[in-house]
Amino acid sequence: MRLTWRSLELRMLLPLLVLVPLGFVLTHIAEVEKLDPGPLGLAIGYVAIMLGAHVVLTLSGHRGDQLLLPLVGTIGGIGLIMLNRLPQDLAGTSALGLSLGMAQTQLLWFGISVVAMLVVAIGLRDDGILRHYKYTWAAGGAALLAITFLFGTELYGARLWLNIGPVQFQPGEFIKIVLVIFIAGYLAENRALLSGASLRIGPVSVPPLPYLLPMLAIFVIVMLIVVVSKDLGTALLYFGIFLTMLFVATGRRSYVLIGLLLFVAGSFVAYELFNHVRLRVDVWLNPFADPSGAGYQTVHAIYAFGRGGLFGEGLGQGLLPGVGGNFPAIQTDFIFAAAAEELGLVGAFALLSLALLLVFRGLRIAMLAHDDFSAMLAVGLTISLGLQTLIIVAGNAKLIPLTGVTFPFVSYGGSSLLASFLVIGLLLSISHRSALSSGAGA
Amino acid sequence: MIAINIRRLGVYLLLSFAIVSVGLSYWQVVDAQALASRPDNPQVVQARRTALRGTIFDAQGKVLASTTVTDGLARRAYADPAFSHVIGYASLRFGTTALERAWDDILSGRADPNPLRDLVNDILARKPQPKDITLTIDQRLQDFAARQLGDRVGAVVALDPRTGAILAMTSTPTFDATPFSGDPGSAAGAMDEITSRKNNPLVDRARQGQYPPGSTMKVFTAAAALDAGVITPGTTFEDQPKQETDGFVVDGFRITEHDLSPVKPALWPLSEALQVSSNIFFAHVGLELGADDFLQYAKRFGFCEPAHIGSGSHALGVDPSYVTRPQDGDCSPFSDRVELASAAFGQAQVVATPVQMALIAAAIANDGTMPHPYVVRDARGHAAKPANGPSKTVLERYGSPGETRVVSSQTAREVRAAMVDAVEGKLGRLYAGAGDVSRYGVGGVHTAGKTGTAQRGEGQAPHSWFIGFAPGGENETPRIAVAVLVEGGGSGAGLAAPIGGRVMAEWLRLEGE
Repeated sequence: MRLTWRSLELRMLLPLLVLVPLGFVLTHIAEVEKLDPGPLGLAIGYVAIMLGAHVVLTLSGHRGDQLLLPLVGTIGGIGLIMLNRLPQDLAGTSALGLSLGMAQTQLLWFGISVVAMLVVAIGLRDDGILRHYKYTWAAGGAALLAITFLFGTELYGARLWLNIGPVQFQPGEFIKIVLVIFIAGYLAENRALLSGASLRIGPVSVPPLPYLLPMLAIFVIVMLIVVVSKDLGTALLYFGIFLTMLFVATGRRSYVLIGLLLFVAGSFVAYELFNHVRLRVDVWLNPFADPSGAGYQTVHAIYAFGRGGLFGEGLGQGLLPGVGGNFPAIQTDFIFAAAAEELGLVGAFALLSLALLLVFRGLRIAMLAHDDFSAMLAVGLTISLGLQTLIIVAGNAKLIPLTGVTFPFVSYGGSSLLASFLVIGLLLSISHRSALSSGAGA
Repeated sequence: MIAINIRRLGVYLLLSFAIVSVGLSYWQVVDAQALASRPDNPQVVQARRTALRGTIFDAQGKVLASTTVTDGLARRAYADPAFSHVIGYASLRFGTTALERAWDDILSGRADPNPLRDLVNDILARKPQPKDITLTIDQRLQDFAARQLGDRVGAVVALDPRTGAILAMTSTPTFDATPFSGDPGSAAGAMDEITSRKNNPLVDRARQGQYPPGSTMKVFTAAAALDAGVITPGTTFEDQPKQETDGFVVDGFRITEHDLSPVKPALWPLSEALQVSSNIFFAHVGLELGADDFLQYAKRFGFCEPAHIGSGSHALGVDPSYVTRPQDGDCSPFSDRVELASAAFGQAQVVATPVQMALIAAAIANDGTMPHPYVVRDARGHAAKPANGPSKTVLERYGSPGETRVVSSQTAREVRAAMVDAVEGKLGRLYAGAGDVSRYGVGGVHTAGKTGTAQRGEGQAPHSWFIGFAPGGENETPRIAVAVLVEGGGSGAGLAAPIGGRVMAEWLRLEGE
């Protein structure tokens, strides 16, 4: 295999390797008000992981997209800086005689996830294992979901954690990927057969049965998630992913519209029937009705945005992390609000722009893909990251009811990081294959 | 085909991100200023953490609340739990209450008591200078009143009937407000501990307790009926003696008398009827007065709407008292004659705060003119060493916010005479005699008063009430009016009257010093 220099990737990475360690140092100085080598380990670890990934990709002759790694490196770097700035005892690991703070644990997962990404990006030579076993994948995903329903532990009122020995993980993050693989396989297979044909019931054009059935199945699963797991964010995310992929496969806005109506109707029923849904919605509509109770997080997130203003209070200077001693879920659900307070609207826009760039890059990979399955897969994977970002940011900013999904690459959490980097690994592998078959580097 | 759809998807996503960005811009730019001024914004709390705050002194210049800044945290110390309800607290965790809330702008220094200086300070954007305030309450009387209540649940309100200056206002059980002020973390624990106690100590029973006033209401009924001209001090009701034993049937409902023993029923005019506290007599009076006039006089006396101690933005709120069922913040009309007759002796739907009942006593004491109460006497420059007493720089003096004539001077004199009889008369002594200040070492003056034993539901001990003033004689000038309430304290004569008598006697003694 001929070695290709990934020079774009390297050029994009170089400023990062200076700026992210600088971010560690600056927040540390702001905190202890003197210069000491506190965050040195983090800086070295981060630089090693990013450079290592670049070198491995280069040496393996990888021809995949060269902007993905710098983009997730930047987004993840900002996340690490924010996490390092928070109290380190919010989360952490103490296993194998090792005692790691929150940022160190996150960096450890960062490393593990990047390795997983490389394994997928380089190791997945063809997509047969994904395409041909889509029902197996779907069954696995459904089984995982069922296990979570039955044995999951509840946190912040949502049941989305599984304990396996000492390791705790969020199956929802991985089910998301499996869901995308299944839908991509299903739609790619049936697309040709179904071009344009649709059922008509009176004046209403309804998707044909092969579309309608999985649509209903997924809708039922989503509603089950709302009811059993009380996890509104994940439900919205899954359904959004499905509708978007359906739209890309068929080009029919009416399907999306019908799906949305279905979702709205389902949500309305859920609002009427289930207290946890009603509480979320009521808090969303008027968090100031109970600012020290149910509306606490939303009210203080809004205050944090307000304090941030245009240019922010500066790294380490934000008040949100200290609200009420420790602000609940700051390292996961509210990491964006914390970042927007310290980095201002400018920083918030930067984070959103980076996420949007990543999404556009993913869509570009989809467009360059040589077969329907790869294209649908790339679209689904990309949209899973994009929608999740939109859902959590919009929830923080009270544009939609608050839900507990993570900000990909930024929020604390091994499951979220690993799943997000697996998505990047899959995207890299897709773009590598299309680059190979068209004979030109991307 | 797919490529076109993906391109469209890209546009939709761009739109979605743009919408989210607009939302963020709203919070971070458009609404930022408004958010920054909300009192529970940590930004505001942060500024308050280190902010000095004015001292609160009692009428004698004793420190009641003062702030010291240690380790970058402003801690407020409250010297006397007897003041916890009227002063309230200024807490980083729980915000401000009572006087700490009403006077926050002066105590924090955000505003100047003088509007002109305030304007100049605002234009020059001067830094807030905390100011001190002095109360009209004398700590000695306040503590005395609190000691009289002791472990009982209740309230004492005392005021100068000539000016409306509050002399004592205390509620039990009370609490120590100091732990609420300092570190927000430990404040929450202190709050949990206090709210878990029985008889919610945070409630100011003087201002927020709405209790049936029982027979103390008869003072109002008598005043209203005399003033309206429907009775005179000599009016009697010929069926009354027989109804004392047989009951008074109003529209098919039998109103019965309380236990009058050892007194034998007779044909009583006002003085005797007030002395023995005849429900039958006052039921008649109420019916004579009629529903419309009853309501009209009640409103004149301050019922049916929230009351205030002080005025304007610095007013301390007092919950409304009602003579009928409340409806849209007002008294509903009387539902029937039975309700009217029962309201006339303080039962049915009548509820009153101790502050309201003290004001009724004060109105009679003050020649028929109800003084508007106030509790802050002046605002001063901040004294650097509060223990050495308040600063000499008085920035603003506050007097009585006003007064309202509720009945004629003639009426007030007639009611006063009956109230003196109720404490000192041959029959009255048996009921309200314990309210007489002469029993507590203050000789040579008369006491006016009325007890109340307010019935509650089946099986619950009645509330014990006393209202009164002293000196109460014909040519004497009353200097203190009180209302005493003891929750479930039984008869008014037993508990509330002696407390009221002692508090008035203590004040006359302190004043004489």
